[in-house]
Amino acid sequence: MTVSNAKAIFIWGTVVSAVIFLALTYDFHRKVGMQTHEMKLDERVVAGKWVWQKYNCNDCHTILGIGGYYAPDVTKVMSYRDRDWMSRFIKDPPSVWPAERRMPNLHLTDQEISDVINFLTWVNGIDTNNWPPKPMALVASQALPKPGEAVFKAQGCSACHMLGGVGGTIGPDLTKVGSRRSKEWIEEQLKDPKAHNPNSIMPSYAKLSEKDREDLADYLSGLK
Amino acid sequence: MKYETQKIAYNYFVVATLLFGLQVIFGLITGAKYVWDHDPLINILPFNTSRAIHINLLVVWLLFGFMGGTYYLVPEESETEIWSPKLANIQLILFASVGVAAIAGYLFGWSWGMPFLEQPTILKVGIVVVALMFLFNILKTMMKTKRWTVIQGVLLGGLVMLAGMFIFGIFFVKNLTTQYYYWWWVIHLWVEGAWELVAGSIMAFILLKLTGVDREIVEKWLYVEVGLVLFTGIAGTGHHYYWIGTPYYWLWVGGIFSALEPVPILFMVIDTLRDVRERKVEIENRTALFWAVGCAVMHFFGAGVWGFAHTLPQINKWTHGTQITASHGHFAFFGAYAMLNLTLIYFAVPKLKGIKTLKSALSLSALRLMVFSMFLMVLALAVAGIVQVYLQRILGMDYLSTQGFMTLWYAVFWVCAWGFASGVVLYIIDFFSMGKTAKS
Ligand code: HEC
Ligand code: HEC
Ligand code: HEM
Ligand code: HEM
Ligand SMILES: [Fe+2]
Repeated sequence: MTVSNAKAIFIWGTVVSAVIFLALTYDFHRKVGMQTHEMKLDERVVAGKWVWQKYNCNDCHTILGIGGYYAPDVTKVMSYRDRDWMSRFIKDPPSVWPAERRMPNLHLTDQEISDVINFLTWVNGIDTNNWPPKPMALVASQALPKPGEAVFKAQGCSACHMLGGVGGTIGPDLTKVGSRRSKEWIEEQLKDPKAHNPNSIMPSYAKLSEKDREDLADYLSGLK
Repeated sequence: MKYETQKIAYNYFVVATLLFGLQVIFGLITGAKYVWDHDPLINILPFNTSRAIHINLLVVWLLFGFMGGTYYLVPEESETEIWSPKLANIQLILFASVGVAAIAGYLFGWSWGMPFLEQPTILKVGIVVVALMFLFNILKTMMKTKRWTVIQGVLLGGLVMLAGMFIFGIFFVKNLTTQYYYWWWVIHLWVEGAWELVAGSIMAFILLKLTGVDREIVEKWLYVEVGLVLFTGIAGTGHHYYWIGTPYYWLWVGGIFSALEPVPILFMVIDTLRDVRERKVEIENRTALFWAVGCAVMHFFGAGVWGFAHTLPQINKWTHGTQITASHGHFAFFGAYAMLNLTLIYFAVPKLKGIKTLKSALSLSALRLMVFSMFLMVLALAVAGIVQVYLQRILGMDYLSTQGFMTLWYAVFWVCAWGFASGVVLYIIDFFSMGKTAKS
């Protein structure tokens, strides 16, 4: 091979790849609006994106799978957390989720908290080609999750309670809670933990809808 | 050393060496936060801040090294002095000041908030000014004699591409997907594009000088290698466009092109070994030679093998954004670019200091300790990553519980990191004693 052959490889290799890449970039711009439902990208969402950047959340958390690996990926967080939990959590993380590895209180203003939640809600709607993937074990077992299970996840009960070997140790293990507590008792516990223990540090879930609380109690009392 | 202005490079290497040490200190701090979940520094130096400082220092010390290398290489290739040594020195001070401002800013919570590109916009403008001063000076120098060697052309192309890509990381974009689309034009098209050109050219120069093989052979291979790097690497950017809100066809384009990325890296290893085997002169600087061969091999494992391992979408779907990525990130940056800069320093500094034959036992201990420790570090992270993928992504365990099961491997990583840090200490001692025993 001569130097001029080598040079041709260099030039053509670069040009071909760049042309493909730029053509696809053009196509990306045509499609990105649909795939990220840009019509819902309002100014509150943009403000929230800036909050996300300003506090450098991204060097602890991944989003779209990119960033620091120290904290949960937040791409789809709004599909299992509700707005109310989010604002309470960001306002004071350790009290809502007293884990050992914790998120610092970054002292966001109420407006900033609301904006960043709008942002994460918008991100939740991005079509990510089905990433993150559904856990294989869950897909395989085909088990339909009980409605109460979703509430349990969304409310972050596992921050304090162990269930099936997973979760925190601040409250009692709930793996077999149904064998010692009735459905009514659990509903009472959720509405007003202080009714059973005046010094309880478990937060009250009185704000949950009647249905959510019932589903939750139904689910837990069935764990025997 | 043939030209007086090549000496400019030395100060760049000094700054690079110091920042390398600092980078590793911040690595140890960041890593400790994984080993002990309870973080006593949470309100002073939380994880995001220490991580930002760790990875910014990394990029900055490597850039200082590249710039120093350029100031060393261009006079010899152009056969003339640097156009303005004064501008080069001002540029060094300006760049260092921007760096200090950025890090001080992070400590006070001043951030732009995209990984690697955390520098606030005004500092980014400063970086652009530094880049323009640098490119202008280099271009002016090259224009003096217009000796367009391939080594010099590829170097210039790489540097222009490096500066040009940075522009795509400056603007705030409303749509996060679009923001990340262009973020990768900086991050990916740097390490798998522009930087490979710069590194390839510097390595070709060093091999040429060390082994005395024909320039024509070196330059021919340089063309082929960087040609394949760009052919696979440009469209290969698609391996970052699988899951960020981009069309599905990227799984095909990104998968196919990026799977070919290890090919030119393998060529570089073969090329290096062949140059050494067919050397025309006795190699005087054995130390630089060891570093050069080590770099070629580690580049291949860190970028080529570790990169290939998770680049296909069927695998990346499970590993994306886990410690597998961190394992590869460390291995590739160390093998491809940290080692290149150290090779360059061990090649150039003895010449700048008038040392004829370099055979530094200390340097070789540093080399062995760094390579061995880094290998164990990335293995530990890879195991942590496999545990993570299995428990979290396959079994569906929640994030924090999974992290609990990974702690052991974080601890192994962190202990080995101290071994790595010891290697860096040996290197720093050796670097500064090369200065001292100068004229002996
Ligand atoms: C210093 C690291 C750090 C920073 C900075 C940080 N977080 Fe967190 N975040 C965590 C950790 C760790 C958790 C896991 C829960 C816990 O232990 O508090 C978490 C949890 C969360 C969760 C709940 C995730 C889930 O799966 O339920 C959300 C949402 C969140 N953070 C949003 C943010 C936002 C928004 C910002 C920026 C304003 C931010 N975080 C900054 C570390 C951080
Ligand atoms: C901040 C920590 C915390 C959170 C969050 C929390 N709990 Fe509790 N929980 C406790 C503690 C502590 C107890 C022990 C009794 C007490 O002090 O009230 C408890 C007790 C219970 C009990 C009684 C268990 C027994 O065997 O007596 C149930 C049932 C329960 N919690 C359900 C829940 C559910 C459901 C959620 C989420 C909606 C939740 N908890 C959230 C701390 C918490
Ligand atoms: C003492 C040695 C080191 C330790 C303890 C260390 C530790 C760490 C930690 C804990 C992170 C954060 C990872 C995360 O977000 O979860 C990190 C990131 C990173 N470090 Fe290091 N590091 C060390 C040395 C190095 C060296 C020598 C290099 C390169 C030459 C390097 C390159 C990187 C890169 C590229 C990232 C970002 C990784 C990614 O985004 O995937 N580190 N390091
Ligand atoms: C040449 C030097 C290289 C360096 C310095 C490097 C560095 C990195 C870094 C730091 C990241 C993490 C970015 C982030 O999300 O923060 C990364 C990601 C990645 N790299 Fe490389 N890389 C190199 C080459 C390669 C090659 C040749 C391949 C493929 C063959 C590859 C495949 C990947 C993939 C697939 C990811 C994405 C990981 C994920 O999905 O989380 N890399 N690289
Ligand atoms: Fe890449």
